[in-house]
Amino acid sequence: MDYVILSMTLLAIGIYGMLTKRHLLKVLISVELIATAASMNFVLIASSLNKALGEAFLILAFSTDTCVTGIILALLVIASKKYGTCDIRKLAKLDQYETIEGEEEESNSRIEEDIV
Amino acid sequence: MILELLAVGLIVSAFLAVHLDDAVYSVASLTGTLILAAVLYSLNDATFVAVFQLAIGVGTLAVLFLSSEMLSEKPSGKKPLKNTFLAIAAALLLSIPSIFLSVRTIPTNVSSGVSFSEALWNLRAIDVVLQGLVIMTIALGIAIVLHEKKEGKN
Repeated sequence: MDYVILSMTLLAIGIYGMLTKRHLLKVLISVELIATAASMNFVLIASSLNKALGEAFLILAFSTDTCVTGIILALLVIASKKYGTCDIRKLAKLDQYETIEGEEEESNSRIEEDIV
Repeated sequence: MILELLAVGLIVSAFLAVHLDDAVYSVASLTGTLILAAVLYSLNDATFVAVFQLAIGVGTLAVLFLSSEMLSEKPSGKKPLKNTFLAIAAALLLSIPSIFLSVRTIPTNVSSGVSFSEALWNLRAIDVVLQGLVIMTIALGIAIVLHEKKEGKN
């Protein structure tokens, strides 16, 4: 069995998810899969070459990865509460119609028309 | 044989994590992927990384994902069971190359001579910087929550 191909397959699944899924949580899961694929390359190659530096570096990389995930999840919760959707295409359209509070209803109806 | 089964399980659960519509099932599949990756690391003599993967990856991420899923919207409509089986079949097909193909790397017996604890000690500066990053992220999260609460009151 080859770990390089295994991690490449994981990477491919992650890229597939990023390109096809519209829900923000799914995109985040795809990013996690890509990060796992990269980690797997680091760990298993370092392990097979008997080099501990790769493993030590990866433990530090895990904490960075968790921080990034925490921030993205915070954004997800805020987007969900503020706009009521986690669809990235709807969220991408929002900035075109970002208005002051008084015009919110008009803006929402225009967004709905656009989406329909 | 165990490693091959682990690889197949890893790819199937990763594919289901992306494919399933229900966020809870999706997160459960992702957790499975991370657990299987940790087992794979531990079988390849990277025990410390496996423990970290279990502690940080499975614990923190699963809790964070589930809490965010509770706060976010629920997807409407369900895919038929047939689609799930098709996804599993596709994932099984995807796992075939990793079992039967191989990319030859140059074999080496040369060890760097650095033990795991020495490597960690050599990287202590990065460790301090990353701890600062973690603390900064927590502070940022708290600031966001307080800001949201303040806006909610107004």
